[in-house]
Amino acid sequence: MTTPTKNARTEARRKEREEQRRADVKRQRLIYGGVGAAVVLLAVVIAVLSVGETDDRVGVSEVAGDVEVDGDTLPPIPDGAADPAVGQPAPVLSGADFDGTPMTVGDGAQLVSFVASWCPACDAELPLVVDWLTTSGPPEDVQFVMVSTNHDDSRQNWPPQDWFAAAGYTGDVLVDDVASSAFRAYGLTATPSWVVISDEGGAVPGLGHDRPGPVRHPGRAGRLRLRRSNSSDHGRRLGGSVSSQAASLLGRST
Amino acid sequence: MIAVAERTFGLLALLAILIAVVTTVALVRRRVPDWLRDDVALPLATAIAATATGGSLLLSEVAGYLPCTLCWYQRIAMYPLVIVLGVAVARGDRDVWRTVLPLTTIGSAVALWHIAIENNPAWGGPCEDAAPCTIIWVEEFGFLTLPTMALVAFVAISVLSLAARRP
Repeated sequence: MTTPTKNARTEARRKEREEQRRADVKRQRLIYGGVGAAVVLLAVVIAVLSVGETDDRVGVSEVAGDVEVDGDTLPPIPDGAADPAVGQPAPVLSGADFDGTPMTVGDGAQLVSFVASWCPACDAELPLVVDWLTTSGPPEDVQFVMVSTNHDDSRQNWPPQDWFAAAGYTGDVLVDDVASSAFRAYGLTATPSWVVISDEGGAVPGLGHDRPGPVRHPGRAGRLRLRRSNSSDHGRRLGGSVSSQAASLLGRST
Repeated sequence: MIAVAERTFGLLALLAILIAVVTTVALVRRRVPDWLRDDVALPLATAIAATATGGSLLLSEVAGYLPCTLCWYQRIAMYPLVIVLGVAVARGDRDVWRTVLPLTTIGSAVALWHIAIENNPAWGGPCEDAAPCTIIWVEEFGFLTLPTMALVAFVAISVLSLAARRP
C-alpha cells in the first residue's frame, strides 16, 4: 500500500524523467539539425572555393557593349499565332563588335541570330551555322549578323568572344549591353532566336520573307540528330542542335 | 552564383549517393540503427525532397534553364514528396513509405528514361522542340546531370522512407 507522499514522489520522478526525455529529444534534434546545416554549409564553401579557383575571368561589364536602340520595342511573340511584328519597322540597334568596330542591326536586309554563349542550344547550333556560312551562306545582299546577348560570366563558354573564336565564327557580331537591350528591343524571350529583316519595305529573297518589317523566329531547338564532341569543361553531349526555324531558314537560303 | 549553386547541388548529390548506399546496406542486413529509424530517416528524406524541389525551381526560375517534358514529369513526382514527408515527420508516420514509394518509383523511371535520352540524343524523346530532352544544362563531376541528380534523390528518399518503417 502506498502513501500519498510516496505517490507524490513517484509522480514527481515520472515528471522529471519525462522532462529529461523531452530535453534529450530537443537536444538531439538540435544536434541533427546543426549537423545537417553544417554539411550544407560545407558543401557551399567547397563549391565556392572550387568554382572560384577557375573563375579568374573578365566580368560581364567588361565584355558587354553599348547599344543604342532607335525605334519601338517589338511586341512579344505569341505562341502559335502569326508574328504581330511583321509589317512593323525593325528597331535599329547601333553598337559594336568585340573589337569596337561599329555594327548596326535593323537598317537593311539582314538575317540576325541572337545567341548566348552559355545556352546549350546556341552552343550546339553555332558550329552548324559556321558550316552553313562556309558552304553556302546567306543570299546575296543579305547580311548575316549574330547578336551576343544575355551575357553571364558565371556559366560555361565565357567569355563569348572566345566561344565564337573556338567555333570558327569570324563573321559580324553585335555585342549586346549589360541589360540585353538589343534582345529586349526585338521582343525576344529565348536564345537562339532568329530574325529576318527586310530592306525598307522589300522582301528578303530566298528567306520566305515577302512583307516589310522583321520576321522573328523564336528559339526552338530542334530534335537532335547529330552527335558532336565538345571539349568544354562541362563536357556536354548535346548532339548537333539547330533551331528548327533556323534549319528551315538556312535550308531555304541555300 | 549559378555555377556555385550547381556545384553545391553536385556535392549534395554525392552525399545523397553515400546516404542511399549506407542505408541500403543497413536495410539488406536488417540492421537499421535506432537513431536512423527513429530520428533521422524521415527528416533527412524531407530535406532531400525539399532541396531537390528548391534546386529545380532555382535552376528554372533564376538560372533560366527551360524544363523539358520529362523534367516536368520528374517534378510532378518530386514536389509532393516535400508535403507528404513533411506531414509524416510532424505526425511521426512511419508508414509513409506506402505513399512515397509509388511517387519515387515513377520519378526514378522517368529519370532513367531521361538519362538514357541524354546519352542517346538520336532517340529524341517526347519533348517539344522548344525544350528538348537532350539538352544537358548541368553536368557536375562528369556524370551528375539534372536527371541523374533527380534519380539519386528519388532512390535516397525511397530507402530512407523504408528505413523509417516500424521494426
